[in-house]
Amino acid sequence: MVARFLAHDALTAQAAAWARDYQLLAPVREGQAVVYRPWAKDMHPFLGRPPTSSAKQALLPQTENLLTYTYRKDHADLTKTEVFLAEPLPSEPTVVLGCRPCDARGRKLLDRVFLERGVKDPLYEARRAVTLFITVACQRMENTCFCHWTGGGPMSEEGSDVLLFEVAGGYVAKAATAAGEKLISALPEAPQKAQEELAALLASPVEPGSAPDLRQVPQRFLALFDNMDFWMDQSARCLSCGVCTYLCPTCSCFNITDENSGLKGKRLRTWDTCMSALYTLEGSGHNPRISRAHRLRNRVGHKFCYHPQEFPGAGDSQPEVSCTGCGRCIKSCPVSVDIRSVVLDILEKGENQ
Amino acid sequence: MSQNPYMPQLATIIETFDETPDIKTFRVVLQDEAAMRAFRFEPGQVGQLSVFGTGESTFVICSPPTRMDYLQFSVMRVGELTHRLHTLREGDPVGLRGPLGNHFDYEAMKGKDIIFVGGGLGLAPLRTLLLFMLDNRADYGKITLIYGGRTPEHLCFKDELKEWAERGDMRVELTVDNADKNWQHRTGVVPAVLTDLNVSPENAVAVTCGPPIMIRFTIQALEKLGFKDEQIVTTLERRMKCGVGLCGRCNIGEKFVCVDGPVFTQAQLKGLPQEF
Repeated sequence: MVARFLAHDALTAQAAAWARDYQLLAPVREGQAVVYRPWAKDMHPFLGRPPTSSAKQALLPQTENLLTYTYRKDHADLTKTEVFLAEPLPSEPTVVLGCRPCDARGRKLLDRVFLERGVKDPLYEARRAVTLFITVACQRMENTCFCHWTGGGPMSEEGSDVLLFEVAGGYVAKAATAAGEKLISALPEAPQKAQEELAALLASPVEPGSAPDLRQVPQRFLALFDNMDFWMDQSARCLSCGVCTYLCPTCSCFNITDENSGLKGKRLRTWDTCMSALYTLEGSGHNPRISRAHRLRNRVGHKFCYHPQEFPGAGDSQPEVSCTGCGRCIKSCPVSVDIRSVVLDILEKGENQ
Repeated sequence: MSQNPYMPQLATIIETFDETPDIKTFRVVLQDEAAMRAFRFEPGQVGQLSVFGTGESTFVICSPPTRMDYLQFSVMRVGELTHRLHTLREGDPVGLRGPLGNHFDYEAMKGKDIIFVGGGLGLAPLRTLLLFMLDNRADYGKITLIYGGRTPEHLCFKDELKEWAERGDMRVELTVDNADKNWQHRTGVVPAVLTDLNVSPENAVAVTCGPPIMIRFTIQALEKLGFKDEQIVTTLERRMKCGVGLCGRCNIGEKFVCVDGPVFTQAQLKGLPQEF
């Protein structure tokens, strides 16, 4: 495949060009944060650091319509009411610009839930089929990054359609899929100097350091399951705010609610969070996850125990975990709960439990 | 696009009546007659009832597949959706998604004595299986129902309780926590009745449903009587939304109550993280 070149000063114009053919989600600065926004005039994409929010909203929007309903009253007999249901509108082809390899890998883990677990989610499936990821390869690891624990890497192309490598004056763009190839076909071929710079970059990529052996985590998590002292200790600071789950590229739990307006309305799917007490509160008042300790245990357990149990990896390899090591839950946690240290504590304290 | 699993079928309430001060029974039929004729489910499976504009919630189909004139749901008024549902009348439209979840393994129960142990509205899923068994009476051994409630007024399916007691081919033992002056049955909690009757575990299966605290003490009583984990079957309540294993909230460890349950044997429950 031909390496192409996207100059820094051509980025905004190119984004506008993509936005003509696709719905474009691009990262922009808003205050201290970098967030994805639908393309609008006078927008300037910012690719300088990993966005504060993950790119999962492209595949699983924060709010989406599952169906619409309309009531019709019989004016001759007001006790009679009919209801009519309609399917949601189909998804539009979408390009996500400027996500990171950890975001792109999140796509694989969302697929596990929505396409491979049992019932296929047709809304997700349709959106998945028309969404392309243009990913910026990472040339340094932030101190919250741990993609190498989870099977990813700072320059991994898994889940991406195009990978952008920053070099002097712009980006070398390399397609990872045929759809990605088409997306960058209008860009000029990368000049010799940029190609050499890329070759040097690939020859000595950022060294992520060593990763712990996670194979024992599921077993040790279950050994610690009933040790509430351990979980109280781990969750003592947690505020149940849920930011960890909202920013996570793999957290996919959702709520379903109706939004009514007169005689019609929508049934909506919205992101939910297992960190909320309301998440599991039953009508009777019974709540199986009544404390923050129970809920943190579920979040960590789902990612590092239940997911590998459900999707066991091959043979003796590291388990597939439902985490891409993007570190957003660590970086944005208001009280510095660090999922890495929870996992390491499970490994250590679960051994002799 | 493949079938939208969130799209309910439209149904109409054909009958509704009060069971207790806060429990109402709804009998519904699908508006599409062909779909109603084609509707298949197994005892113990659940459905999601929708009131469009308020939401939807999960209830067991408490009529058996052997009686398909309607699908019955008995609903306690506890939250937003159930309050709204209780205001509906005959002729009103609702949505129905289902059947969802697994079911009672009535094949494995054939030839065995069946002990139903229920509390309050926990009788609803037991009713489905009980009526199914009564409609296939020759396939099963002795059938016993032990059922309790807070007061006589709080017992569900009162007419049927009387009818079942008079059938002669099953035993019915009723108990309440607080009796009134007309009460002619037992007083006390359900697990105590089990112990008092000294129910034999030989060639028997116990099926229990009720409030979590009742289930816990019922299982303890059954274990004391010698019931093995495989002989104890229960059906779990969980907050659910999607009903198809996607939305996440009803997990117990790696299992989802909405697809792997709601019916579990005590042996299966012991293999799961203890988070009920």
